[in-house]
Amino acid sequence: MNDVAYWKNVPVRVWEFAIGGYQVMKKWLSYRELKLLGRALTKDEVRYVSEMARRIAAILARQTARMRIAVVGNALPLYNPPIRVAEEYAMIDVISGGRLIAGMVVGGGPEYYSNGLNPAEARGRFNEALDLILRCWTEPGPFVHNGKHYKLRYVNPWPTPLQKPHPPIWIPGAGSYETMDFVARRRWAYMGIPYFHKRVFKKNFDYFREACAKEGYTAAPEQMGWLVPVYVAESDARAREEYESHLWYFARKLLPGINITPPGYTSARSALKVLGAFGDFMLNVNTWDEIVAGGYAIVGSPATVREQMAEMARWLGVGNVLTLLQLGTLPADLTRRNMELFAAEVMPHLRRELDLPVAPAAAASGA
Amino acid sequence: MTPERRTVALDGRQVRLLVGGSGPPLLYLHSLGGDVEWLEAHDQLARRFTVHLPAHPGFAESTGVEDVDGMFDYVLHYVDLLGALRLRAVPVVGASLGGWIGAELAALYPERVARLVLVDAVGLWIDAAPIGELFGSTPPELARMIFHDQQHPIAQMMHAMTNLSEVPEDFAYAQLKALEAAARVGWNPYLHDPKLERRLGRVTAPTLVLWGRQDGLVPLVYGERYRDRIPGARLEVIERCGHLPPIERPADFAARTLDFLSA
Repeated sequence: MNDVAYWKNVPVRVWEFAIGGYQVMKKWLSYRELKLLGRALTKDEVRYVSEMARRIAAILARQTARMRIAVVGNALPLYNPPIRVAEEYAMIDVISGGRLIAGMVVGGGPEYYSNGLNPAEARGRFNEALDLILRCWTEPGPFVHNGKHYKLRYVNPWPTPLQKPHPPIWIPGAGSYETMDFVARRRWAYMGIPYFHKRVFKKNFDYFREACAKEGYTAAPEQMGWLVPVYVAESDARAREEYESHLWYFARKLLPGINITPPGYTSARSALKVLGAFGDFMLNVNTWDEIVAGGYAIVGSPATVREQMAEMARWLGVGNVLTLLQLGTLPADLTRRNMELFAAEVMPHLRRELDLPVAPAAAASGA
Repeated sequence: MTPERRTVALDGRQVRLLVGGSGPPLLYLHSLGGDVEWLEAHDQLARRFTVHLPAHPGFAESTGVEDVDGMFDYVLHYVDLLGALRLRAVPVVGASLGGWIGAELAALYPERVARLVLVDAVGLWIDAAPIGELFGSTPPELARMIFHDQQHPIAQMMHAMTNLSEVPEDFAYAQLKALEAAARVGWNPYLHDPKLERRLGRVTAPTLVLWGRQDGLVPLVYGERYRDRIPGARLEVIERCGHLPPIERPADFAARTLDFLSA
């Protein structure tokens, strides 16, 4: 802002980022100058500027013409009011020229501990927040929202998304019945959370297809996504040698705790089902052979990875394959080479093999 | 003895009610520890009272937990139940979560509670002695907090549950449901009502506070706080006993309770 107060490490490109004649960060700050505001910025406002910088940087980094931007980690119940999510997503959609895929998540179990939010309200808050966000995107404001969890006399969001009626919606899940039934009913897309044995994915996608059938339609492959760690190197042996220790670091040091399921977070029935699947969770896998046989990660030469991924995608019947090309302690150089090899030697082949369009089509975006 | 099993319909909700014994009525408000079913402690109380043991909404076969957003919903639920049972003023015995409900009931509706026994009740908060972690602990961790005697059959069973996927499904299901119901009233603020402590001055029922000396979940200072805030209350400490006297020391618990209620 001046020589005394400033944000470190904001690249010039981010600072100068403009929409039309509107220099985003400068404009935001200019409305909040000391003489206008009559006070210094609050801690939250200072943090917000950093968030804004990160978001702009993310958009710049993805400044390509075709690639879609899927943001799949916004836990709606953690925002109050959730209108914030509607506006941020709409902003990304506008800036990126309508390339956003809007992920909506309930949030992980541990987040309910660290945010003081009642997990017994998780589903209720999520459903209400999601309805409210859709309303923000499709109904001109101002309007009144009087829900169970959120009471807002004036909802008047801005901007609204470029994609009409709204960006496609993806919902990730670990196999709780509630989530799959819900996504099937709304005709959105369901993304299977990784680190499970392939039979868990299969079971969940089968359940999802049945849920869609119960709603009176056939699930499109694009309504399902398989998220999986992938590592490609010149040969099978070299891939394992370079990757294995990083995978175990992730499985043993970073994964524990993710399975915390606070009470009421899912129905008791679903909680039992998810608990039942923990034997098939990467946390409980001890040998490399189990990793390979269970499809927990796809690791090998381009030929091996191509073959295994095509086979899995067909077997699971999914139209979206989402890759985790960095995991645990995998360093930047190996990650970069992994991405390059995947992009050059695996992706084009998979597109041909699975008959996927070059720019992956988004799932149906209707309501 | 085998209690009579009843279902009471209450404004769209169903209450599973066990009734047993003879004598004047007594309302027992259960904890999460298994005393929602009829145990030896209830047998002992039933020798001099007609014990009414309802399951809270969300526990056992009682329904209506979807409408429970906080402790007030439980309190009003019990005012409704007393009305449906045509019980004007009854002695109330409450353990842990049930003790919290009992204390709120006695503070908000003093005319409905003739006498009050609070057993290792949650409901208050003391910064210097936080209530232990009920929701995020493993069964063995809970067993260490709840039981003085780690050889108690229930403690032993909890110690064996190191892998949740091996717990018998009906047992796991009941526990998950009970914890969900408890989370609805006690996730945040954690197992207490910040305004209860002040309200305890409204309690008119003669009150006995019973506490297990080795309660590792809700330490004895909470019993002392209840005694200090409820006018005329008395505290009795049960030695070599953890958080659940009705389960760990049923005879001692029942004898002290009956002595107090019959005085």
